[in-house]
Amino acid sequence: MDARIAALASLRDELRSVELGLALPSAERAARVRDELTAQVDDYLLPRLRQMDAPLLMVVGGSTGAGKSTLVNSLVGAELSPAGVLRPTTRGPVLACNPDDVRWFVDERVLPALARTTGGKESPNELRIAPTPQLPPGLALLDAPDIDSVVAENRALGAQLLAAADAWLFVTTAARYADAVPWELLGGARDRGTALALVLNRVPPDALAEVSSHLRDMLRQRGLDDAELLVVREAALDDGLIPPAEFAPVRGWLDVLTADAGRRHALVRRTLTGALDTVPARVGVVESALAEQRAAAEELRADVRRAYRRALEEVDDAVRSGSLLRGEVLARWHELIGTGDVMRALETRIGWLRDRLRALVTGKPAAERELEEAVESSVDAVVVAAADRAAERAGRSWREHPAGRALLRPQLDAASPELNDRTRDAVRAWQGFVFQLVQEEGMSKRTAARFASLGVNGAGLAVMIAVFAHTGGLTGTEVVVAGGTSAVGHKVLEAIFGDQAVRTLAARARDDLLERVERLLALEEQRFAAAVEAAAPLDDAPERIRAAVRALQSAR
Amino acid sequence: LSGRLDRRLEALARAVELADGRLDGDHVAAARRVVERAGQRLGLGLEATVVALAGPTGAGKSSLFNAMAGERIAAVGRRRPTTSTAAAAVWGDASPALLDWLGVPRRHPAADAALDGLVLVDLPDLDSVERSHRAEADRVIELVDLLVWVVDPQKYADASLHEDYLRPLTRHAEAMVVVLNQADVVDPAAARRIRDDLKRLLRGEGLDGVGVVATSAATGEGLDELRARLAEAVRRRAAAVARLGADVGQAAEALVAECTPRARAGIRKEDRERLRGALAGAAGVPTVVRAVEQAHRRRGALAVGWPFVRWVCRFRPDPLRRLRLPERPAPEVRTSLPAVSQVQREQVAAATRALASGAAGELPPPWPGLLRTAAVRREDEVTDRLDRAVAGANLHVTRPGWWSFAGLLQKVLALATLAGLVWLLALGLLSWLRLNDVLPVPEMYDVPAPTLMLVGGAAAGIVLAFLFRLANGVSGARRARSAGRSLRDRVDVVAAEYVLGPVEQELDAHRQLCDHLGRAAE
Repeated sequence: MDARIAALASLRDELRSVELGLALPSAERAARVRDELTAQVDDYLLPRLRQMDAPLLMVVGGSTGAGKSTLVNSLVGAELSPAGVLRPTTRGPVLACNPDDVRWFVDERVLPALARTTGGKESPNELRIAPTPQLPPGLALLDAPDIDSVVAENRALGAQLLAAADAWLFVTTAARYADAVPWELLGGARDRGTALALVLNRVPPDALAEVSSHLRDMLRQRGLDDAELLVVREAALDDGLIPPAEFAPVRGWLDVLTADAGRRHALVRRTLTGALDTVPARVGVVESALAEQRAAAEELRADVRRAYRRALEEVDDAVRSGSLLRGEVLARWHELIGTGDVMRALETRIGWLRDRLRALVTGKPAAERELEEAVESSVDAVVVAAADRAAERAGRSWREHPAGRALLRPQLDAASPELNDRTRDAVRAWQGFVFQLVQEEGMSKRTAARFASLGVNGAGLAVMIAVFAHTGGLTGTEVVVAGGTSAVGHKVLEAIFGDQAVRTLAARARDDLLERVERLLALEEQRFAAAVEAAAPLDDAPERIRAAVRALQSAR
Repeated sequence: LSGRLDRRLEALARAVELADGRLDGDHVAAARRVVERAGQRLGLGLEATVVALAGPTGAGKSSLFNAMAGERIAAVGRRRPTTSTAAAAVWGDASPALLDWLGVPRRHPAADAALDGLVLVDLPDLDSVERSHRAEADRVIELVDLLVWVVDPQKYADASLHEDYLRPLTRHAEAMVVVLNQADVVDPAAARRIRDDLKRLLRGEGLDGVGVVATSAATGEGLDELRARLAEAVRRRAAAVARLGADVGQAAEALVAECTPRARAGIRKEDRERLRGALAGAAGVPTVVRAVEQAHRRRGALAVGWPFVRWVCRFRPDPLRRLRLPERPAPEVRTSLPAVSQVQREQVAAATRALASGAAGELPPPWPGLLRTAAVRREDEVTDRLDRAVAGANLHVTRPGWWSFAGLLQKVLALATLAGLVWLLALGLLSWLRLNDVLPVPEMYDVPAPTLMLVGGAAAGIVLAFLFRLANGVSGARRARSAGRSLRDRVDVVAAEYVLGPVEQELDAHRQLCDHLGRAAE
């Protein structure tokens, strides 16, 4: 017995922590099943398992205006719950039981979410307990709110109370017995094996035969043959109560139950077993919804990954194909060569000293700074456009997915506004890295004297140019392009870019640049991933739920 | 009578056209159905008024129907649900086309002069286990002019009726009546309280104006009132218009959620400038402008430079020719401008997207996405079109008029210089041959004429060449500027055609849509 309680409690906790945040078609139903099941575990299964000898709780439920309160009042012979003509009449549940049984219900064993009260006005969040000697010990009647009126709280509470019942006394009328809503609930009771008696109330005497036989047919068609059908004829109320002769069938059925403890227990066990039997299937609904959620989350993540992987490839292509070299960067490089800064450095071979001096006095020369800026804005343009397109692609694939559509926020399907600044920072940091690399390694004896003679800045810029050219070093024609119109430069540059050490430096610098871009794009991707993460279930949720169900089944 | 409805329908039809493919497909489809339905209903004439009795099972729709028709047309029973197909009672001679359109095959004539023109339809229930009943009722409910909701004291507060039917029909208060039938099963005081409670519920649903009539098909209570209401509706012949008007309003309201007429939106100036800059860069405008200036300088130097040195310029190629830029606008020529670099293309792409998202401003979804799609739709064609725009630009590379005069002057001066030189050489030769004073040497201003011609001509030529060069520099810069203007104008045309135009078109669609919806909803 204890094992079942512990297993149920842990299953309930697992279910409660289940997130079904992705807007999939199955999610809504699964969330409802989950909420109903956790409520039923708390309201009914756990209390009943803990105390098998507690009185049988019979919930009187049904449509609004079916006469539930009038029936309960008539059964106990007093107005416990006010009956009336306005719908819905009953707002707060009223529990009638023998005074000796009150102790079973005053603590929060059953229906722990409802506060207890013993009189005064009824309210939707309180369970009013009305002791009455009219009911024998061992049986409690709970007058529940309706299941189908305009008041939504009533409907929710009505369904919750029915789920907490040991047996249903389901009340309908001659006008209502074919309504769709109650039949849905009755179908649920059939599936759960809940003990059930159907009261057909307010039957005009002339319609009795026709209606009750039709209702019996309907019960049979829907697999509810074993439900007790108790017919109460419409009659003038006597001081608000049904004349005893009319509700005799109900009374009689209850009397049998109260007289026979064994039968009562059988009912309790039947409903309990039925409810426990349905647990795996209901958990299965949640579980398959969870699996769908995880599959959908994985799809959405894959969409985003694909989109951004392509963005990285685009940037990589742009860097490797040499297309970044053309245009602005090349123009600035020509200017740099044209001003003779580099060439003079080449000739004097004391460039490094001059570099240092000038850096100390005036900072970098204008042409070099402009080249750096050109590199910066070129990389920036390529990265931002690639990120923009990736966001668009990811947004497009998400829009085609129901869950993705719900996750899309305005501005999510474009590059983030901070990307521009981040990219520029990253490129600047990369340039710093290149200068440092050149300083640390490029100036050693392994590099050609010519390269070393460029000075750190010149050499760093030359490496950047080499990065944007094909395959690490410049090919013959590119050297011509890179050399611009300065005829002197060609041979020198060929010597520099042909140098194996420079090629190696350029390759390392390019890898570093692409790594930085990858990080930038990862941050962009993260915006999408975070949206999925916030809504998707935890990875181990299905496994843990399965384990909890297994534990419950082995405990039984 | 229906002139105003026609205008609203027209506005909704236009809104549907604009919304198609832009806004939520379900809402657009619903609005389109309303337009179609309204057209059909109006086409069938307003002489007849179609009234339907709708409601839950067991409320007494069929009993009421029979009581109104004065004979037992519909089967009445205890077995629920009773009625499974719609039946119509027709007062006067309603056109069969109308009844065909309603899709009600069971028709029965009824007689009452006051109700002449009434078509009363008894519908199956809305809430029973028979789902097909509900589908049939839903179909007819969409078509009728006046809805009579029949409820009873047991069922007047059912969620299925209020949540699925009455709450979505908030705008249809004029086109419906609520009947509390079976009022006789409770005592009169209770009936009054129930009626008040029902009115309270309706008020809570925004249906304040709906008439509530308590009836009893069994005792005949309230039937006269209901008949009087129906007679009034039939006499005024306004029910169809009211119903369709409410439908139009409802459809417009569903769409108007995606439309915010007062939202700040529009292409921002700085975005437009950024796009122009990016396009100009991609079009190579700075390169061309530089080439225009250099070409002018070079040509100027060739035309009015000092003749003895200006031939040097010929060694440098003409920058405009090198770019194969035509001097007269010729859009069909392909230039040799450097191909658009990827960086430039990306800058155009980024500027285009920034422009679209800036233009979206405060517009709600889906407009930002629509604007972006419109902006980037022809992205791939832009660069090709830019080249033609450049080739078709007027670069203002004409020869200034003063060049020929100045060139002539330079030639005269050069000739004078040459003549002076020859003269001096001749004098030198003669002096070498000791033949002094064979040639006369006139003096001007105390300087021998040949010397004056050589030195003065050379000096004047050089000074003039320098001044002309300055002038050409200034006019070259001016020409570059006007070439730049002309190029930018051409680029602006491309921007307008490929980016700004489509974006403006979407913004315009939004404005017009809001406008039409506003008129449809009024």
